[in-house]
Amino acid sequence: MEKSTDTSLYLRVSEQDKDALEQLYDRYEKILFSFLYKMLEDRGLAEEALQEVFIKIWRGKGVYDESKGKFSSWLFRMAQNTAIDLIRKRKKPTVPIEEASQMVSNDEPVEEQVVWQEKKTQIEMAVQHLSAEQQKMIDLFYFKGHTHETIADMCDIPLGTVKSRIRLALKKLKTSLHGMQERGAYDD
Amino acid sequence: MTNIDCDYLVDYLNGTLTEEENQQFEHHLKTCTECQEIIEATGQLPYLADPVEPPTDMKARILSNVFDEKVEQNNHLKDQPIDQPKALKPAMSPIPIHKKRRKENVWKPLLAAVLLMSLLGNGYAFYQLSDQTAETETAIQSIELQPNATFTGTATAAMIEEEGLLNLVVQADRLAELETSQVYQVWLIKDGKPIPAGAFSPNPNGEGASYYQLETTSDEWDTIAITLEPKTGNELPEGEIVLSSEI
Repeated sequence: MEKSTDTSLYLRVSEQDKDALEQLYDRYEKILFSFLYKMLEDRGLAEEALQEVFIKIWRGKGVYDESKGKFSSWLFRMAQNTAIDLIRKRKKPTVPIEEASQMVSNDEPVEEQVVWQEKKTQIEMAVQHLSAEQQKMIDLFYFKGHTHETIADMCDIPLGTVKSRIRLALKKLKTSLHGMQERGAYDD
Repeated sequence: MTNIDCDYLVDYLNGTLTEEENQQFEHHLKTCTECQEIIEATGQLPYLADPVEPPTDMKARILSNVFDEKVEQNNHLKDQPIDQPKALKPAMSPIPIHKKRRKENVWKPLLAAVLLMSLLGNGYAFYQLSDQTAETETAIQSIELQPNATFTGTATAAMIEEEGLLNLVVQADRLAELETSQVYQVWLIKDGKPIPAGAFSPNPNGEGASYYQLETTSDEWDTIAITLEPKTGNELPEGEIVLSSEI
């Protein structure tokens, strides 16, 4: 049987199809959990955020359609926003935790590992094309969920230009991703 | 930056726009290739994360919580604030189910939902059941009630026995609308002698549920029946039996 697309699964979820939600869950559990863990640095919080994301999908809070881009991008954005809400509620400075690397699993289906690894390599290389400051901006803005004020302080730039700097960093990320996709990821 | 709307991009990604601004930006997004591409590129960032193994039991926990939320919402009276069931949830979860017969997975969310309804109704029933301790031995029996020849609704009953008490939960759906004074009355019957065991009226979706507790065991009864009574509080049935089953 042909694999359902994310969009067709999502449409079934909007009709309260539990099986479709479970399929979407299986498809994204690992990447979402890993991503949320990277942001929140706490397994319990990552689970809390992940649950929140699927409750939002199930309840139809925030509606996806293809004009909003790829389903995965939309899903990740919802996850990222949910994590930011938790970070801001918690108000605790995040500290890097060593245990993350110890929990890397090796028993994944090979296909999933390969796809993930390919995307990871590609985005890592795209990030390396950015200036150190731009990399920092993306980390602070996207993964750490800092406010514009904090970013202005940490990067020593005027508050008024934080937004346009973030945009510029993201734009450059887009350009280098595109460039790599055209040339092939391993031909730097 | 070519368009003033492009300014919203970062706030959009950050989820800090008002609903109106959000809509405005999504409208803009349909025609702005650059913003679309930046959003797609941003959507690749999560792959920077190192793979982390989720807890093995996380899926079961999350999906059960997600679907429970919906059950509560569905059975919720329209004029109640949506957030209310959340606060009640922890108190409901410890209902002990040690000795199971069948269909217990069907009943768990249902019990929560029905208990919630009875709590909204009078509060009394809920506290009775939530007082039960974790050590008690619980048996659940679930029964499908059969409709009479003309009745279109369906109902299932759960009989939960704990410490000499019988908790009877009935859930029915596809019920016809009633006149104001009418009510669906549940009866437990032994040798043709009925006692009242809960009553309900259908909600606008044609669903109804009742919860009743009495000092007895399920062995003492041979039949469960639901009648359509002309008024509430009848000690003996006046109306016809619409649904029934042997126990």
